[in-house]
Amino acid sequence: MSWRFQRVPTVPAGAALAGRVGAILAALACVAAVLSLAGLAPARLGAEVIGSAFGSVAGLEDLGLLVTPLILTGIAVALTQRIGLWNIGGEGQFNAGALAATAVGLHAGGDDAWALPLMTLAGAAGGAAWILVPTLARAFAGVSELITTLLLNFVAALLVAWLCTGPWRDPSGRALATTARIPAELPPLGDTLHWGLPAAIAVAILAAGLLAFTRFGYEVRVAGANPGAALYAGIPVRARIVAVMLLSGAVAGLAGTIELAGTVHRLQGGISNNYGYLGIMVAVLARGSCLGVIAGAVLMAALLNAGIVLQTQGVNTSTVLAITGLILLFTAVGDEIVHYRPVRRTRILG
Amino acid sequence: MRDAALPSRRHLLGLGIGLGAGLGAGLILPPGLCPARAQAPLPAVPEKDAVIAFGHVGPVTDEGWTWSHDQGMKAVQAAFPQAKTLFVESIPYSADAARTFRQFVSNGANLVFATSNYGDFFSDVAKRSRKVGFLECDGRTTADNLGWYYFAHWYPTYVLGVAAGLMSKTGKLGYVASFPVPSCFSSTNAFLMGARTVKPEATVQVITINSWFDPQAATQAGVALANNGCDFLFGIMDEAGYLQVAQQRGLKAAMWNTDMRRFGPDAYVSSIVVDSRKYYVDQVGRRIAGTWTPGTTLLPMGGGVDRDAWGRTVPEAVAKQADAVREKILGGYTPFVGEIRDSQGKVRVAAGKTMSDLDLYNWDWSIEGVTGLGA
Repeated sequence: MSWRFQRVPTVPAGAALAGRVGAILAALACVAAVLSLAGLAPARLGAEVIGSAFGSVAGLEDLGLLVTPLILTGIAVALTQRIGLWNIGGEGQFNAGALAATAVGLHAGGDDAWALPLMTLAGAAGGAAWILVPTLARAFAGVSELITTLLLNFVAALLVAWLCTGPWRDPSGRALATTARIPAELPPLGDTLHWGLPAAIAVAILAAGLLAFTRFGYEVRVAGANPGAALYAGIPVRARIVAVMLLSGAVAGLAGTIELAGTVHRLQGGISNNYGYLGIMVAVLARGSCLGVIAGAVLMAALLNAGIVLQTQGVNTSTVLAITGLILLFTAVGDEIVHYRPVRRTRILG
Repeated sequence: MRDAALPSRRHLLGLGIGLGAGLGAGLILPPGLCPARAQAPLPAVPEKDAVIAFGHVGPVTDEGWTWSHDQGMKAVQAAFPQAKTLFVESIPYSADAARTFRQFVSNGANLVFATSNYGDFFSDVAKRSRKVGFLECDGRTTADNLGWYYFAHWYPTYVLGVAAGLMSKTGKLGYVASFPVPSCFSSTNAFLMGARTVKPEATVQVITINSWFDPQAATQAGVALANNGCDFLFGIMDEAGYLQVAQQRGLKAAMWNTDMRRFGPDAYVSSIVVDSRKYYVDQVGRRIAGTWTPGTTLLPMGGGVDRDAWGRTVPEAVAKQADAVREKILGGYTPFVGEIRDSQGKVRVAAGKTMSDLDLYNWDWSIEGVTGLGA
């Protein structure tokens, strides 16, 4: 008799959760070992991280500020995943959204009631516009959206850098390499936190509902699972691809708008802060589930926040990056491991 | 006319940035540009409880800007051995910066230095943490607990410009810049103004690379400038990338921040060396003693910024001529007098008018002859 491992296609929720928790604990054990080898005290650092991030209102608000854009860029990726595509251009659409919202916001006063709604519309439209060419190229010419969306990220980043050091440069001269401060701001929800977080959560719930309970969502899921079958079933696959990709771009653009109007208040080079790329990791952690994106964003934000706490405690940037990577790697491995179960192989013939 | 409220540069040197000096290090701007002076200083902190935090733009191992500021932190550690120091390197110009500064505050920091301009990411945190002192290098915002400091680098840069004008054969000077921000405008402009005193047809070609620390991009920019015919490279980078290009191509180069001659001993002409040790020790001393109020400080040439010792291939005559200009400036002379035209040919500083140190600090347009920096 011997043992072998058999892959099971679906995993009960409890087992999946256990896999995740186990993986994170294993990663933390690994990190603790490395830190103590480096002469640091992992228990004290761990307590410091948890105390700073979760032990104070300020820490929780910081976490919320980080979760907000990550939910939205995560949703942007998760949406396209459901139709079998990858939007790698969240970073560019984020920048394009922030740029479009800035174009409106620079011309609005702080008290203008129309400012925030119009900035939101402009931001979503900006994000959608930035993914328009990759969308049409994908839907009508079969061009891989991986490459086109990715390459447009660099264009958007340079466009933002040029605008905020050139034509849109802050005329007061009090701020460098940035536009003037946008007067219209999202209403606060605490000291630094703002209504962007509930808005992002609402978008995640709406997206989950759209995919789960509507005919549109059903068609998208079928088209993602088997485009050929979807076509035979009379589903307009091409139109769904166009709709989903534009929606994805709009959500990423919305992320840029919220970051601009809620957190940063000026268009500048660092506004996207890699949220577009981190959104890909969030969506992978969430395994394409829109509600899972919320949890994935919280995990990612907690990791990034922990990184900042660790840096102030004398752990250098590269180590922090390595720790973050290690936890994500363990999580990915843990997710796969729970798909396998040991099966006893009985010998039939002597 | 020079601003009457400004003490002379000689006087500033005399102040020597000593701990007890009445006005403290460097140059205090005239009233109206600062927050109310009457405000009470932040209360004293026992040295053993003091927490001093430094937020850096690059890695402390860059051998340039951040390394130099890290020497400042080490000087603070030596002067106040019981105080606790914290630092974070490579902080991006993004919302992460605000997170880092907030973390400093929740770690109990009494005085936070940002060694680069983080703008709102810094001032927003300062606004919410009134009991903590904040000082921003190259800052533009002040508040009751927020000040700024920087280096009057345009004077030694003008001196290097004279040397570059004497040593360049083509008159084409190359410049590797980070962003189109005042540091780069004042640096390129001062460099060209110095060069044109000895080579009137000189020009400066600028390439911006959107970073202060990106050795690969800086090297590529150096190669592109050399290919364009530039035979003297200058820039405002935190590392030695384009110096190595100059060494390989047989050109000359001047650097920023530290003595980098070992990366290109034949190409090395000099460097704009910054030294903020005394300033940091002074500020921390005041914070501990309970006499700290936020100042706006420009460390002068000879008191925080200067040219480095000349490189081994710089001819004696060149060094002598450039140093004569340096001596003149140390004696109170300023070369930044109109008429000065911008890159569009428009007169921006009228004939006979002198640019104040604040004008030079906030310089945000290129003079005629500088191309590539925009505006």
